[in-house]
Amino acid sequence: MPARCSGSCPRRLLLLCLFLSLPGGSPADLAVTPQDANQTHKNSLTRMPTGLKSSPEPMTTTQTVNRQTWGGSISDHLTVGPDASTPGPDLTTLEFKQDTKSNTSHGSYEKHEVVLSGDSGHAVVKNITLDRAVRIELTCKLDDKYSSLKVIQVTWKKGNETIGHINKTENSWSIQLTISDNSKLGSYNCTVKGEKEFSVVFHLQVPKIDVKDKPVITYEGDIAVLVCKSLNSTPISWTWYMTNGSEQIAINDSLLLDKYVIDKVFPNVTQLKILKLTSKDDGVYWCEAAFELGKSKGKMKLKVLSLMVPLKPFLAIVAEVVVLVAVIFLFELYSKRREKCTEIEKEFDQTEQLKSEESNGVENSSTRHRKV
Amino acid sequence: MAGGSPPAPWGWAVVGGAFLQSGLVFGGLRALGLCLGALGGSFGGGAGAVAWVGSAAIAALQLGGPLASSLSTRFGARPVVMAGGFLTGLGFLLGAFATHLAHLYLSVGLLAGLGWALVFTPSLGTVGRYFPARRALATGLAMSGASVSGLALGPLVPLLLDTYGWRGALLLMAAVSFNLLVAGALLRPLDAPNESPGPARGRRGLRRLLRHGPFLRYALAFVLVDAGYYVPYVHGPARAHEVGCDERRAGLVMAATALADGSGRVVAGWLAARPAAPLLRHLFGWSALTGLALLLLPLGTSFGGLLALALAYGFCAGAVVPLQFTGVAEVVGAGRLLHAIGLMQMFESFGSLLGAPLAGWLRDLTGDFTASFLAAGAFLLAGSLLILTLPGFFRTSRGDGGKGGGHGLAPGEAPPVSPSTL
Repeated sequence: MPARCSGSCPRRLLLLCLFLSLPGGSPADLAVTPQDANQTHKNSLTRMPTGLKSSPEPMTTTQTVNRQTWGGSISDHLTVGPDASTPGPDLTTLEFKQDTKSNTSHGSYEKHEVVLSGDSGHAVVKNITLDRAVRIELTCKLDDKYSSLKVIQVTWKKGNETIGHINKTENSWSIQLTISDNSKLGSYNCTVKGEKEFSVVFHLQVPKIDVKDKPVITYEGDIAVLVCKSLNSTPISWTWYMTNGSEQIAINDSLLLDKYVIDKVFPNVTQLKILKLTSKDDGVYWCEAAFELGKSKGKMKLKVLSLMVPLKPFLAIVAEVVVLVAVIFLFELYSKRREKCTEIEKEFDQTEQLKSEESNGVENSSTRHRKV
Repeated sequence: MAGGSPPAPWGWAVVGGAFLQSGLVFGGLRALGLCLGALGGSFGGGAGAVAWVGSAAIAALQLGGPLASSLSTRFGARPVVMAGGFLTGLGFLLGAFATHLAHLYLSVGLLAGLGWALVFTPSLGTVGRYFPARRALATGLAMSGASVSGLALGPLVPLLLDTYGWRGALLLMAAVSFNLLVAGALLRPLDAPNESPGPARGRRGLRRLLRHGPFLRYALAFVLVDAGYYVPYVHGPARAHEVGCDERRAGLVMAATALADGSGRVVAGWLAARPAAPLLRHLFGWSALTGLALLLLPLGTSFGGLLALALAYGFCAGAVVPLQFTGVAEVVGAGRLLHAIGLMQMFESFGSLLGAPLAGWLRDLTGDFTASFLAAGAFLLAGSLLILTLPGFFRTSRGDGGKGGGHGLAPGEAPPVSPSTL
């Protein structure tokens, strides 16, 4: 039974296979299953169509939640203001009170806060992904242990431009922004100068595209499938580009129906199928997702090989097999023949023995017995 | 001759062939899994549909066991193994050119699986025949091939996939699988005079086995054992992630387990092959230990702890392997070894089909793998307890086929000459 095999069990494979579609079962070695378990966007706003769901991220303490090796411990607090259409329940955290400003003409309202409690050293960075227009409030706050610290100056800047309107509370400083188009995205810097200096940078960005970084390998005459996925956000539209030299040419699948097929597998996943591959299709492809606030690109490499490429090692190995099998059989024939020769010799010797013993008489009968 | 006859010198070449075969069969299966994972939607079916290709292969491998035993009893092991090797290679070759998922089911699934079935059982049977004494050691050495290939293919197949894509990888795996022909060529038929004459042939033999009480208990014991055995291998990486290991560490744990498994096979085989060793008691001991290791496995909540427990588990689990196959000879006699292995494989598939999915379900139900491992350990212990009920267990017969003697031999069948305590 193919049972007792270690890392390579048929059963295992079976079970693995059975589990490919079930959560939690994806042994790394047999099957390659993409594990989408990662939440890279802990900080991103999860859209709530109706009602409110509290972010799974710990919101209750200032102790380190993210195991990040910065000078300080940071806790991220994310609260979502109620949508214009859904005045839902309030979320309160220990850190600060829920802002109950409901209706805004711009839709949802986000708050992001960073608590500074470490040594001044590196600047603290927080990435915020926005896929649609929002009003946003960014806060940098000093940890309670610094409540006695004298603060001389707090500046909020975008690039070189200083932002005027800073809302100050006891030991936190925040700004409110309306992010309505691409120009408003960027890096917002909060610097707190006093006996110690702290710095926080908020990067406001469009969502990133998730692509396989390894090249996709196909063969001539085959079909290639290139997949792009936008994490956690659904873009307004997708566009695919092919690279011709240094130019990027958009792929229009309605023009070349028998060559390209663009599918929307899920709202946030796009798939480009290239049929009847030739070596000309080899190269770099881009998928571009358009969001309300800007565009985001992903790069993929496609390799088209000829069948000759793997054929050479294949033939080499088959030749090796033929040679080995021939050697084994020849060796066997050879040793069988040798056995026969020695057998014949032995028989000859024995008959000789018998003859000589007979002539020597009965005394040697015991010898005969022993020898036979 | 008293005692066991020393193995013919060619016996070690046979072990080599079986080692090669063991590596290629399980290595091939593993490679198949990796290649399937890399298909990436080329045929439109989701991950589930593609997974059935692997299931088809395994089904063919398991259910083909009895067929392989019958064929090799009739035609000899060598032709059957070589035919199997050719079929497997052909299956992979056809799969490389598949244009539809159905092609994959038939080629890499059924054809290759059938080929593996034809290779596996007769090889083990031949090893058993060449080593009437020290059978456990020879089997352990032969089966360690699977562990070695497991370690080697881990990095190799992804490399193949990155360089040649899945079609190229399948093509090259076909070539590699053709080496099964080499393994088969090494299985020189043995005209051993101490073979029990006229083992029950063909279907009559199989049917008689099905009525053989001790054999049925033995097979049932391993159905239970299989229900628990694979759980750590299947769910190991997921468990490693659960306790916080990253990809690299999880891979390390699995590789270390594979190493421990391989060593366990050889060591246990060597221990059980000593002249006075009571095989069934060794089997009981190792499988009970494996069960215990499984029960303790949930305690490994750090990388170090998990690694240590996984090593213990791997070693014991590997130890069970050669003993399982040589134990069959104890129960049904060396003459029917081949048939018994084939039939046992078929039964065992029920255990393994049940085991890991159950573990997965328990995990989904309770939130982590603790319950799964406990259940698996319980299955293993239950199977071990069944081994206690076998007739030969408490008997310390020595030097003659006593164990096989009174049980289940058909009239006219001579008891196996080899000492039951190998």
